[in-house]
Amino acid sequence: MGNLKGKYCIVGVGETPFTRGSGRTTRAMGAEAIRHAMDDAGLNSQQVDGILSYHGGDSTPATSIMYDLGIRPNFYMDCSGGGSSTEALVGLAMGAIEAGMCDTVAVYRSMNGYSQIRIGGTGVRAAQPVSGADVMLRPYGLISAVQRFAFTFTRHMMEYGVTSSDLAHIKVAHSNHASNNPKALMKQRVTVDDVLNSRWIIRPCAHLLDCCLETDNATCLIVTTTERAKDLRQRPIQILGVQGRGTKPGGDFHYQHGPITRVAGHYIGPRIFEQAGITHDEVDVTGCYDAFTYTALLQFEDYGWCKKGEGKDYVTSGIINLGGKRPNNTSGGHLCEGYTHGMNMVIENVRQLRGTIDDYCPQAEEGIHTYDYSEGKCRQVKDAETSMNMGWGTPAVGSALILRK
Amino acid sequence: MPVYEHRGQQMSVPDQDLEYTGYFDAAKEGRLVVKKCQGCGLLRGEPGPACPWCPSQEWEWQDVSGKGTIYSYQIVAHTVIPGFKDWAPFAIVLVELDEQSGKPEPGDGLRITANLVDSNMDAEKEENVAIGKRVEVVFQKSEGDFVLPQFKLSGEAPQGPVWSHVT
Repeated sequence: MGNLKGKYCIVGVGETPFTRGSGRTTRAMGAEAIRHAMDDAGLNSQQVDGILSYHGGDSTPATSIMYDLGIRPNFYMDCSGGGSSTEALVGLAMGAIEAGMCDTVAVYRSMNGYSQIRIGGTGVRAAQPVSGADVMLRPYGLISAVQRFAFTFTRHMMEYGVTSSDLAHIKVAHSNHASNNPKALMKQRVTVDDVLNSRWIIRPCAHLLDCCLETDNATCLIVTTTERAKDLRQRPIQILGVQGRGTKPGGDFHYQHGPITRVAGHYIGPRIFEQAGITHDEVDVTGCYDAFTYTALLQFEDYGWCKKGEGKDYVTSGIINLGGKRPNNTSGGHLCEGYTHGMNMVIENVRQLRGTIDDYCPQAEEGIHTYDYSEGKCRQVKDAETSMNMGWGTPAVGSALILRK
Repeated sequence: MPVYEHRGQQMSVPDQDLEYTGYFDAAKEGRLVVKKCQGCGLLRGEPGPACPWCPSQEWEWQDVSGKGTIYSYQIVAHTVIPGFKDWAPFAIVLVELDEQSGKPEPGDGLRITANLVDSNMDAEKEENVAIGKRVEVVFQKSEGDFVLPQFKLSGEAPQGPVWSHVT
C-alpha cells in the first residue's frame, strides 16, 4: 500500500438489531446504522461527506438515505455486490479520500434478508422468467448460494477427506462465541451432534446448521484519515492492508478451471500480507466469512493459515475458539450473529482492537473484561492488536482487510 | 423470443442471446454442443461470448460426444423451487466431458451442469451418484418444445477413483 499504510483508519461503527422481521424499510434501517456509526465516531451529518453502499437489488441507495440524515456528500456511489464487498469498499473509500473527492466516508449495507428478499432464492431472487446465464442452471434446480458453491465443497471433501463432523466444529465455535454476544440472533450453544442431526439442505456438504442466518439488518462503518481521526471520539483503528474484490480465473463459471477446490484467497493472501508487511503469526483474531461452514474452511487453507487440505485440522484444533490461538468470528459471524454480507465481521474486529467488545462482562461498557469465555460471559480477546477479515463472494471472488490498533 | 418452461419455471432465451440459443436449439435435434473458439480452437462450456484463453470473440457451436465423467455433484435434499419439491432428493452433477480433459492447463476441463437421471428421466438414486462414474448425455423433453440435455450413468468402467458420500 506504499505510503498509504496506516494513513487511513476506521473511526466509527454501528448497526441495527439483528432480527427476522424488522418491520421497517431498508431505508429506515440504513439511516439508523449510519447515525449509530456517526454517534460512535463523534461525527455529525456535516462532517461526513462521502457515502458508499453495496446491494443486490435489495436495498435503498445512498441517494435517498443521505438526504434523510442531512448529509450533503461530495462523493457517493452505490455499488452492486454482496459478500466480499465490505473490504473492497473500505479500499474504495480510501481511494476517494486520497483522490481529494471527499474527507470522511460512511460505508453501509442495509437488507431485509429474511422478511423481504431471501438469499436462498425467494422474492425477486426467484423472479420469472429466468434469463441470462441462469438459463444454464435453473432448469436443473440450481438457484441458491450454497448450490452455486457445492461443486467446490463436494470435490474438496473427496480430495481432502473432510467430514460433516469437521465442518460442524466451525458452527460449534461460532455458536459458543455468539452465546456471549447480546446482539446475536442465535445465542444458543450447539454441539457437533446438533449440526449433524439438523436436516440436510445439500448433501454431502451442508446441513441446515452449516448455513448462515438470513437476517434483517443494517450495518455501517466510517473511514477517514488518521490525521482527521485525532480529535474524534474513538481510538482509531488503522488500515494496514486491503484487497478486493480479487478473483481466480473463470469468474462465475470457474468450474472450467482447475483446481476447483481453490478459492480466490489463494491470489489475495500473498498480496495483502506483503502490503501490510506482517506475517500470519502477528494476527490475533480473524473474521473469516461463514456464509456456510465450508466457506470458512476453504479460506483458512487458501489464505495460508494452514496447508491445503489441512483446513479440517485447523478448524477442529481449538485455534479458532475464544481462548484459542486465533479466534475466528468472535461475534458468532454469519452462522450465529446474523447475515449482513460481511460488514458485521469487520465491525466486530474494530471493537476487538479497541478493547470495547459488548459482551456480558459487568464492566464491559468501561472496557473491563473478565476473559472468562464460558457461556453468557466474555468474548473480548485479550490484548488483541491485529485482525484480519476475509470476505467471500463466491469460490472465485474474495476480499481481505488487515487492521491494527 | 422463446420462453421455455420446465418444472414451473420460465426461461427466457431471446433471439439475440446467441450464447444460449444454440444450446437449446441443438438439444431439440438431440445434439449436445459447446462453443469452439475460432481463434485458438479451444472448446468451452461456459456461456460467455469471448474465449478466456485468447480472447477471440469469434466462435461456433461444436458437437461433442456427450460422454464424460462426474467431476463433482450435489444432492438437493431441500429446494425452494416449488416445481422441484416433488423431485427431491435429486442430483445436480458437474460433468467433465471427454473432449479437452486436462487442457489447456492440468486440472482444467470442459465441464457442464445437468441433472443425473435414470432411464425413465427420474432422478437417479442417490446411492448411485459418485464422482468418477462414467456418464452419457440424454435429452429430456419438457413442456412445449423445450428439450433439456441431461446425463445418465453409462455403465462404462470408471477411468479413475470413484468417490461417494454414501457408505
